[in-house]
Amino acid sequence: MKVSELAQKTGLAAINEYKDREIERVYISDMVSDLIASARTNSVVVTLQTHKSLIAAANLAGAAMIVIVNGRKPSEDVVALANRTGIGLFSYDLDSWAFAKKLVNLGFE
Amino acid sequence: MIASVAVRGERILENVEGGAMGPCNHEWSICNVRHGYFVEEGCFECGARLSFFSAEPVPPIDKYREGRHYWAYLGSFQTVKFDLKCRACAGIVDLNDVNGLMLSECTDRDCQVGALVHQQGPDSLVYVALCPNTSHPTGKCVSSEGIEALNQYFRAKLAPVGRKVTIVPCKLCNSIDKCRGTSIVDVGLTDIQ
Ligand SMILES: [Zn+2]
Ligand SMILES: [Zn+2]
Ligand SMILES: [Zn+2]
Ligand SMILES: [Zn+2]
Repeated sequence: MKVSELAQKTGLAAINEYKDREIERVYISDMVSDLIASARTNSVVVTLQTHKSLIAAANLAGAAMIVIVNGRKPSEDVVALANRTGIGLFSYDLDSWAFAKKLVNLGFE
Repeated sequence: MIASVAVRGERILENVEGGAMGPCNHEWSICNVRHGYFVEEGCFECGARLSFFSAEPVPPIDKYREGRHYWAYLGSFQTVKFDLKCRACAGIVDLNDVNGLMLSECTDRDCQVGALVHQQGPDSLVYVALCPNTSHPTGKCVSSEGIEALNQYFRAKLAPVGRKVTIVPCKLCNSIDKCRGTSIVDVGLTDIQ
């Protein structure tokens, strides 16, 4: 499923300009440093973090999409860095579990 | 030449450039993941800085004298350390001398890292591998084997998704305190804003 399709099916609006890549898996973590060692490429990363280091780490992990939960919004410099990496950046009003349920309903395991 | 020593039944590659045993097209994967704290200390008297990795459940907060230095705790962040293992030759590159990775945002073209950042295409970013003693009193930084393996690992991983990264050792920075960037560390949950 493409980033744009996942966004549309979960009702998310993009915060940045992104590359519409294929998403193959899900990674949920509130630890940024953990992404490098654990997240695989073409993931949608679901997290509470909004710091610039999130984008720096997600880029090394080859992530395709980031969904920041609990309605948190990243600052402008974070959005600018996300644009450079092509990773789709989104904000979701509810918590990780609510978003995870949507992903399960869309067939992610 | 490949010089290897047996440690815990696995070979540690001292030099991965190839040689007598023939070059291996290494297929690196991450191994030996360790969670812990990246602790920074500074000297009150001369301004030098050092950092180390602590796997203790809470970061050590100490003040101590060491020769002419008087070290005090500056801060700590949660982080992850790892090594790289080759699937093809089973060689391991020890990355214990890498305390963290920092996305470089250096704009100083007189700095080698800044010059490299300036040369990058739109799909490419430069990361600095931080060694434990960023003031480099002995000239020692992250090993060239470690830097090479990190570059090979991330390039192989990211090429299929159309991304490129270059990893450089922190001794390439003019001054690591002035070289701007974003370190990949976790601030405490109470600091999240
Ligand atoms: Zn190999
Ligand atoms: Zn000192
Ligand atoms: Zn160094
Ligand atoms: Zn610099």
